[in-house]
Order: sequence, then structure tokens, then C-alpha cells
Amino acid sequence: MDRMKDRLDALWAEYREATPDPEAGPDFMPELWHKIEARRVETTSVFRRLAQICVMATVALALIMGAVLIPHGSSDEAFYSGTYVDVLAAEHSNDYVEALPVGDYR
Amino acid sequence: MPPVTLGAVAAVMLVDFELIERARSGDDGAFNQVVQAYRKRILGTIARLIGRPEDVEDVGQEVFLRLYFSLDQLRTAEVFEPWLYRLTVNAAYDYLRKQRRRRESRMSDLSEQQVMMADAAAGGKQNAEETRRTKIRETVDDLLGKISEEDRILLILKEVDGLSLKELEKIYRVNENALKVRLFRARQRVLKAYESQEPEVGG
Repeated sequence: MDRMKDRLDALWAEYREATPDPEAGPDFMPELWHKIEARRVETTSVFRRLAQICVMATVALALIMGAVLIPHGSSDEAFYSGTYVDVLAAEHSNDYVEALPVGDYR
Repeated sequence: MPPVTLGAVAAVMLVDFELIERARSGDDGAFNQVVQAYRKRILGTIARLIGRPEDVEDVGQEVFLRLYFSLDQLRTAEVFEPWLYRLTVNAAYDYLRKQRRRRESRMSDLSEQQVMMADAAAGGKQNAEETRRTKIRETVDDLLGKISEEDRILLILKEVDGLSLKELEKIYRVNENALKVRLFRARQRVLKAYESQEPEVGG
């Protein structure tokens, strides 16, 4: 068993020597940078697409909200047609009545 | 900061921490220098892990590509080498997984006659030393082919690339005891395969 272990240890060393680290080809670095650039562009375009989707979703949401809210708004048109002073006067019309003392004024 | 010694064959760090910090902060020139310093070592490890010389550069580029886009996640320059080896091991795993899927169709691409002709042509060009090396490579590749992918990668990193237990701990992110157990089991399995491959040596 120990003999086999020694043989195996020697075999690892021989294997290390028989498989030297290869030299990279001349195109290694240019190809690497090309791949890095391609990945950068891909990442940017993904973000751009996400931004476009967000913008489209916002516009769609705004349109939907507009479509839902506008009909309700038109029913209150009469209420808002008066001026601020009119509205204030209408709301406080009873205040003067309550302020008068109860009694016979004849 | 001075380079530190990490392993036996893996030896010293090939670049100083300052260069790694510069590459981490987005300096492409510094990244270029880091790649040039490590590519030979990494290509060697990949060649032994995947066993297909024609694909070594592709996998190597994938490793450095992943490094480029993950450098900002590196906590400190001190853990750079284990980080790089981790990326290497992961890229090798991914490659081997893809290859496993393609293997059957690729085998059917070449007829038996074509394989024999290619072997004969390759054999004619080799000298005695190259023949010896080829035999060793075939013996070990055959041996490693009989154990699992995980055991194979672990043994290559430890026994052939000479990484230390400390480095392997960082690469595999396991504690020393767990790693020792994994290594022991992997060694037992490869020893068993070796005994069955060459029974005359054991007797």
C-alpha cells in the first residue's frame, strides 16, 4: 500500500512536469478585451431596456389613472365652478344665524 | 506592500497588492498587468482541469472576464489568489458540465478510422521524450477519469498545482478538518483506482 502511495506521489510529480503551463497565444489579450467590451455593452443595453420598460410602465400607469379619475372629476365640476369666496360663504352660511341671540325682535 | 508566499508550486504572489488595488479601482492598465502575470499559471491549471488543450484559452478568457466584473467584490487584495483560483475552478466546472452534455454527440462526430488516423499521425511526430510524457498524461488522465469531478479537481489543485491547505480552505470556503477529510477520501479513491489500473505494482 505504501509502495503504491509512493508510486502515486511520483506520478503526480511526473504529471506536473509532463503538463507544463501553456503560453497564451498572441490573440489572448485582444480577444479578452473584446469579450470585456461586449459584456459591458450587453450590460448597458440591459439597463437601457430596463429604463425603457420603466418609462413605458409609468406612462401606461399615468394614462390608466387619468382614464379612471377624469370621469369622477367631471361630476364635481359644478362644485368647483364657484370662486373661493362663494365656496367659503356657502360653507359658513349658518354661522351668522347661530351668532344671533334668541329672542323677540319685534 | 511586499508579495507574500502562499503555496509550494503555486509559490509567490506574482503581483503586488498595490497593482491589484489599482485594478480593483477600475484601472484597465493595472488589470492588463495582472492578467499578463497570472495567465500562464491559470492556463496551466485549466489545462490540467479540463484536459482539452484547444479549449484552454477560451476557459482562461472566461476566468479573467469573470475576474474583471467581480473585482469590486474582492474584500482585500490579500485574498486575490484564492479568489482567482475559485473563479478558475468554477469556470472549469461550468466547462466540464457543458462538455458532459456535448460528449456523446462529439464522439459520434469522428469515425473510428478517423480517430486511428489522427492517433497515428500524432504518434509519428513524437520523439521519445514526448512519448514518455504522453504516456504519463494518458495514465494520469485515465486514472483521474475514474474518480468524480470534485475529487479530480481537488487532487489536481493539491497534488499537481501544489496549493497549500490554507489556500484550498479559502478556495473551497470550508474549514481545515472538513478539507482534510475530503482530501483523504479523494486520495483513497484515486489510490484504489490506481491499484486496479496497475495491480502488478502493488503486488
